Amino acid sequence: MPVAESLVWVAAVTTVIWLGLFAYCLALDRRVRRLEEER
Amino acid sequence: MTEALKRDWWKWLLCVWFVATIWAAFYYAPTAQGFKGESARIVFFHVPQAWVAVLAFCVNLIASVRYLRGRNPADDARAAASARLGLVFSALATITGSFFAHVMWGSFWNWDPREVSIAILLLVYAAYFALREAIPDEERRSSLSAAYAVLAFVTMPFLVFVVPRIYWSLHPDTIISKSGAVKSQMDPRMLVVLLASLAGFTWLFFWLYNLDVRLTRVLRTRREREES
Repeated sequence: MPVAESLVWVAAVTTVIWLGLFAYCLALDRRVRRLEEER
Repeated sequence: MTEALKRDWWKWLLCVWFVATIWAAFYYAPTAQGFKGESARIVFFHVPQAWVAVLAFCVNLIASVRYLRGRNPADDARAAASARLGLVFSALATITGSFFAHVMWGSFWNWDPREVSIAILLLVYAAYFALREAIPDEERRSSLSAAYAVLAFVTMPFLVFVVPRIYWSLHPDTIISKSGAVKSQMDPRMLVVLLASLAGFTWLFFWLYNLDVRLTRVLRTRREREES
């Protein structure tokens, strides 16, 4: 596999991992805010 | 603009920032010479993770000292949150470092002084949480873990900055140039990406830290309400 092509894959997988982590943090943030409002 | 977007704009900016940094790390930064393949690109993730771990342990020390002075439970929550994140980011730095080691030196673990010192640091801060779990009384737990955190911090600069520089190490110098020469100026494009990544990881740390502290506060209030 050419180097450039494998780099695309690594960059794409890293982006997907980051987006997953970001979505989790955002969901947790909203949950914490809801709990604070309930309080 | 919706209310949620107004409130969360900086989080979405962080999301875009990280995506741009990831793609810049692979496409904008040039390939460093003197390393196998593209392995040196891990520096854009490994170094910021190690930096955030050091930052987290510094915040842990400050919060622990504040707790010992004022006995405020909020400081204990801050200390625990920062130690937790420090442990997570140390583990991430160890994992990314071992991938680099596998590519460059043929093995995930080489008993290099840097690897051993980070492993000891992980154990020191894992023991912090073992201590917290072992003490049921809240006030006693907070006091003892704050005192332990102060002692644990003494080992951190020694293990992170001193030991790896005393002994011969496989680990590349802290500066990697495009030409592969150590201790020379880093390529400006590499430096820009590294600084952007450092900023992004620091930003992410403070967001996670804030979330952890707020969640601890909410759970504590809920527990107190249930007990009364």
